Amino acid sequence: MDMKRAYYEDIELFKSGTIVFWTIVFLAVLVTFPLYMSNYYLYLFSLMMVYVIVSVGLNILVGSTGQISLGHAGFFAIGAYGTVMLMTSLNLPFFVAIIAAAFIAAFFGFVLGLPALRLEGPYLTIATLAFGLAIMHIIGHTEIFGGRQGLVAPAFDIGVPQLGWSYILGSMISKYYLVLIFTIVMVLIAINILKTKAGRAFVAIRDSDIAAEVIGINLTMYKTLAFATSAFFAGIGGGLFAFVLGFFDPFTFNLILSVIFIVMIVVGGLGSVMGSISGAILITYLMYDLFKNIGEVPIVGALLVAFSKQFMTITGMDNFNYIAVGLVMIGIMLFEPLGLFGGWIRIKKYWKTWPF
Amino acid sequence: MRISKNILVTMIVLLLAVFLVASEGLAQKIGFDDKEIRIGSWSPQTGPAAPWGATSRGVKLLFDIINEEGGIHGRQLRLFIRDDQYNPSQTMAAVRDLVDRQGVLAFVGGVGTAPALAVKQYLAQNKIPLVSVMTGAENIHVPHNPWLWGTWPLYDDDASVMAKFVVQKLKAKKIGMLYQNDDYGLDPLAAVQRRLKTYNMELAIAVPVEPIERDLSSQISRLKAAGCDVVIGYVAPTQAAIALRSAVSVDFRPQWIHSYNLTDFVLMNKITDGLWAKEGVMTSAFTDDIFDYSLPNMKKYADTAKRLAPDERWGIFYAAGIVAAEPLVHALKQAGRDLSTEALVRELNKMDNFKGIGPRVSWSAKNHLPPKEFSVWKCGPKGEVIVVQGWTVNDMPKKR
Repeated sequence: MDMKRAYYEDIELFKSGTIVFWTIVFLAVLVTFPLYMSNYYLYLFSLMMVYVIVSVGLNILVGSTGQISLGHAGFFAIGAYGTVMLMTSLNLPFFVAIIAAAFIAAFFGFVLGLPALRLEGPYLTIATLAFGLAIMHIIGHTEIFGGRQGLVAPAFDIGVPQLGWSYILGSMISKYYLVLIFTIVMVLIAINILKTKAGRAFVAIRDSDIAAEVIGINLTMYKTLAFATSAFFAGIGGGLFAFVLGFFDPFTFNLILSVIFIVMIVVGGLGSVMGSISGAILITYLMYDLFKNIGEVPIVGALLVAFSKQFMTITGMDNFNYIAVGLVMIGIMLFEPLGLFGGWIRIKKYWKTWPF
Repeated sequence: MRISKNILVTMIVLLLAVFLVASEGLAQKIGFDDKEIRIGSWSPQTGPAAPWGATSRGVKLLFDIINEEGGIHGRQLRLFIRDDQYNPSQTMAAVRDLVDRQGVLAFVGGVGTAPALAVKQYLAQNKIPLVSVMTGAENIHVPHNPWLWGTWPLYDDDASVMAKFVVQKLKAKKIGMLYQNDDYGLDPLAAVQRRLKTYNMELAIAVPVEPIERDLSSQISRLKAAGCDVVIGYVAPTQAAIALRSAVSVDFRPQWIHSYNLTDFVLMNKITDGLWAKEGVMTSAFTDDIFDYSLPNMKKYADTAKRLAPDERWGIFYAAGIVAAEPLVHALKQAGRDLSTEALVRELNKMDNFKGIGPRVSWSAKNHLPPKEFSVWKCGPKGEVIVVQGWTVNDMPKKR
């Protein structure tokens, strides 16, 4: 759409002043958010950003490299358990622990990438699915990981308590800012990865792995690298999740979570960073917030409750949430197969030539 | 990178508008006013664990009854039920939402160990009482949490009473145990072993089951080979049904006695095609017999349920919601018109042998542990409840 005159224009982080402006506005809103929003929204937004990190990472694998993973809840779990275990048993500071845990997740990603060299489509899906389930059960059966009872995260100390310099994040606001910084950094990393040699190799593999090999791309290296990178993102997300929630048990990281990660990037738009961000935000909102309070809204609430009493199960209002989430997903897939990002491109095109 | 002034001004105005519209009160809202007392509850209303959600709706029934009778000191009780699908991160969202946006005085009857563990610290920080969390796991209550009161009995107390009953009343010679291989089964296993030691007895065999296992024939043949005449069960309802079917199919007919989570005989008979009644399975129980209308209040509860919630099944988990809410309602009544969180806490801590349709509840400032009292039921030939042992207190509780 935009005319490019040089290669470096194409890989610029911000392609125009408008983008710079809106990015700054968006960041300003995020930074000032705690000033005018309640604690609940801080939690919800922290959770959204954690999922943004995971889905941006997953999109590198699925959207850009054309592989599939139904095992990302496993990497997410490794990140969460790894960070907490490294902090409590090995006494590492938070930043070291979370990065080490993400590298452990990346290592498992690399290992899971090996079968991906020979498997494709549904077969790869099953292999990754098995991995996700296995991780959940291995953790559930290991006493040092707290077994099925789960783990309570320790105090969120981002300093180096070993050297007597301790800085504990107690409030939701401080956790929110930390997660925000992590999210910005991880999203920038993701955007930049796609502009490097590796990123172009990923896209080439997605479009045709045979053609990619012919032009000299090392399939073994780049396919496993895609898995490892993606797992690294999930690991970072998991480490943050552990502290945002403060408690987790193995069942938190079940198959449904892996599926939801996939849903986020498909709804958002495969192969686009902005797509995965918007997908993660939309799906988290739908799952956690939509309709939660509508039963208490004066007229609408009473109407919906009456409708549900008449035609649905005794559960009442909560039925609607499920239906709405499903309808939104179907709607997006039906009318905008490229996801939210596809819709955005269409809107942009339309306004560019408006009113013609 | 040039941006025209007009656009810039428009954008800033827009942004300010967003700020103004979005601004919301930051201070925590108080959970009551002159007209109503707001109480929260979470449970899985949808998803695989949805049957447990009946407890929150049971709480609603009791609140509706109280409201029809004029409320508590002129205030109506208002219950907010939030669906968390048994997912701790959803529980956290629901609890924060209720505390921040609605303002609740207390939570009652939150379902599940993991969801409760996730939110208990947050509730304590915000000084919001959580009354009757629905789980028998010990680590919710130990160490003592001043903002959390237990009504759902601990599994090891349950098992201890059960083992005593098995030895003294059933005169069992060889006792087997079928237990779920996690805290739900392991705590009771230890309690049974402790109790049997006092009689110089040992378990003939203890067979673990994984929560996801669906073929229990090998476990049953091991129990049969050990020649058990009584089998104590600490498994999920589905697995108890499968175990019973496989046992009958190999003509292994011990006296089964299960944990208090399996007291819903109507349900159990349904999923075992009536075998539950035919074999006369026993369970321990933490409520009064909900079909015994001679008990105080029971008929009122059952009749109101039929009138206000005609689609709801009058079952144990629905009634468990009432058991969970009764102590809270009692404390609110005691606290008087001059309500505050402190008054509520004071009255909860003064709870002394309070009896509703569950076990007797006693709490103090230093002790919020759930009751240690159980009865034992047997499923009669028509699926009815036969109380084979009335309320019995565990005389050998674990030191905590």
